[in-house]
Amino acid sequence: MKIERKIILYNIFNVALILLIGFFAFQNLNLMLTKLKFVEIADDMNTAFLEMRLSEKNYFLYNDRTALDEIKEKIDQTTASIEQVKADIVKAIGETDINTLKSHLNRYSALIGEVRQNGNNRDVQMGLRLRDAGKKLREFSESMTKLERKRVNEIIEVSKKILFSSFWVVLAFAIAVSHFISQRILKSLRKIETLAASITEGKFATIQGIRSKDEFDSVISAINTMSEELRNREEQIIQSKKLASLGILTAGVAHELTNPINNISMIAQAYEELYDKLSRKERVEFMNKVEGETERMRSIVKNLLDFSRPKKADMKEADINVVMQKAFKLVQNMLEVSNVDAKLNLMDGLNHVFIDEDQIKQVLVNLITNAVQAMHGGGRLFISTRTGKNKDSVEITVRDTGKGIPPEFLPHVFDPFFTTKGEGGTGLGLSVSYGIIKNHKGDIRVESWIGEGTTFTIELPVYTEAGDALIHEGVK
Amino acid sequence: MNQYRVMVIDDEKIVCDMAKMSLEHEGYIVETFLNAEPALARLKAERFDVVVTDYKMKGIDGMDVLRDVKNLYPGTDVIMITAFANLDTAIEALRGKVHDFFPKPVKIKALKTSIQRALSKKK
Repeated sequence: MKIERKIILYNIFNVALILLIGFFAFQNLNLMLTKLKFVEIADDMNTAFLEMRLSEKNYFLYNDRTALDEIKEKIDQTTASIEQVKADIVKAIGETDINTLKSHLNRYSALIGEVRQNGNNRDVQMGLRLRDAGKKLREFSESMTKLERKRVNEIIEVSKKILFSSFWVVLAFAIAVSHFISQRILKSLRKIETLAASITEGKFATIQGIRSKDEFDSVISAINTMSEELRNREEQIIQSKKLASLGILTAGVAHELTNPINNISMIAQAYEELYDKLSRKERVEFMNKVEGETERMRSIVKNLLDFSRPKKADMKEADINVVMQKAFKLVQNMLEVSNVDAKLNLMDGLNHVFIDEDQIKQVLVNLITNAVQAMHGGGRLFISTRTGKNKDSVEITVRDTGKGIPPEFLPHVFDPFFTTKGEGGTGLGLSVSYGIIKNHKGDIRVESWIGEGTTFTIELPVYTEAGDALIHEGVK
Repeated sequence: MNQYRVMVIDDEKIVCDMAKMSLEHEGYIVETFLNAEPALARLKAERFDVVVTDYKMKGIDGMDVLRDVKNLYPGTDVIMITAFANLDTAIEALRGKVHDFFPKPVKIKALKTSIQRALSKKK
């Protein structure tokens, strides 16, 4: 779900919650108002009942007949006013209580009617009954009022509690939701940060397993696409750089091919010239020589084709010395043509490494052609392998006796498009080599002294089962 | 039958063998060397009429051979063979008073004609 929608939903929920609380508070307030209205009416009734009882007392004490009329009048008034606000009273105390009240009042009214018709104030029996009815009416009315007052207080208490606790609920909910949303955002941001860091290191990984269909999903998939695109571009650059190295190698290869061609040509010319003088054995020897030379040419061409063919990264356990020899074979003729005296010094019994042979060969060819270009008119090249300082790596060094790299250029030699060869260089060779070695979880560094030469050192991690998985992840 | 002495220096054994067989067939006395060092040592001991040398070799190359031969025997002609058929090496070779210059693949007949021409100058 999109974060925007989540926030909107959360806001809707919060507003609904507040409305609900408001609704309950409003209900309570209404109930309270009804109760208060009843208490007001009840107060009036209580006063009326009190007055009735006073008149009743006057009648019995002084035989004041007008008192009875007053009581009758009060009863009629009260009955009328009860009927008038009956709805409100029902709402406040319910049907049962009002009926009880009415029946108390009716009984009292009936007794008053009886007394007015045929009673006298000396009728003790009647007096007792009337007094009892009046007392009951008043007591009931007062207890009702008291009860309703108590209820009003209760409602106020409950409302207070509801408001107080709903404040905490809303607050807790707000904190929980904002925490949840910000955690999701931070989690996605952290993933993007990690990916960005890995892209900076030249490892074009992608983020897998995106579950949330939010804005970050589109950002992450955009970055994934970018990363994949970068990986494709890197593969293209590696291939184009390989083709560039091939250009340099070609001079050597051409020379290498010229010799067997010349040999075959000379054999053919001599064979034709001396045919009659040659014995059968000699003729067979001549043809064997031709066959040997064609074999020589085939291997030269095969070697070059193997190197130039674009290949998918293919990590395998390998003996670095074997790879070194293959790379050396590729450059051997270029070295001879360029008058470079090369020494290969490979340490026996090295631990195996986990590499893409083709890519490592490319790095070596690149370093060697760089070295040759740094040694105009020839020089010496020392190529060696040995166990790394920490025993968990294999170290390769390529040292030349060339002109050296100025100290101010040294930090930039692995930067893309940095070149000291002017028009002749693309500035991609060493940057591609750097990328390849980093993808192998290895390290490449350079030391140089002006006028003395340059040494490139490559460190590759020794092959282990666990390391194998690690590199696979990095390369993928 | 002439008895001219021809030296062939080339790091390709087949070049040496074929040149030797073909030239010996013409009646020349031929000695071949796979690199320049023993060849120059041999030249110090004995004069050759024509030296055929590869231009590009490990260690001492064709130009060094040319210079040493001319120092020892100004009259001996040097014929240069090279895999690099480029103008620069040709000019360099001609400036060094090389008699002739053959790019690979070498035509043996043309080489023989060139050797004969060099020898006929001496007569």
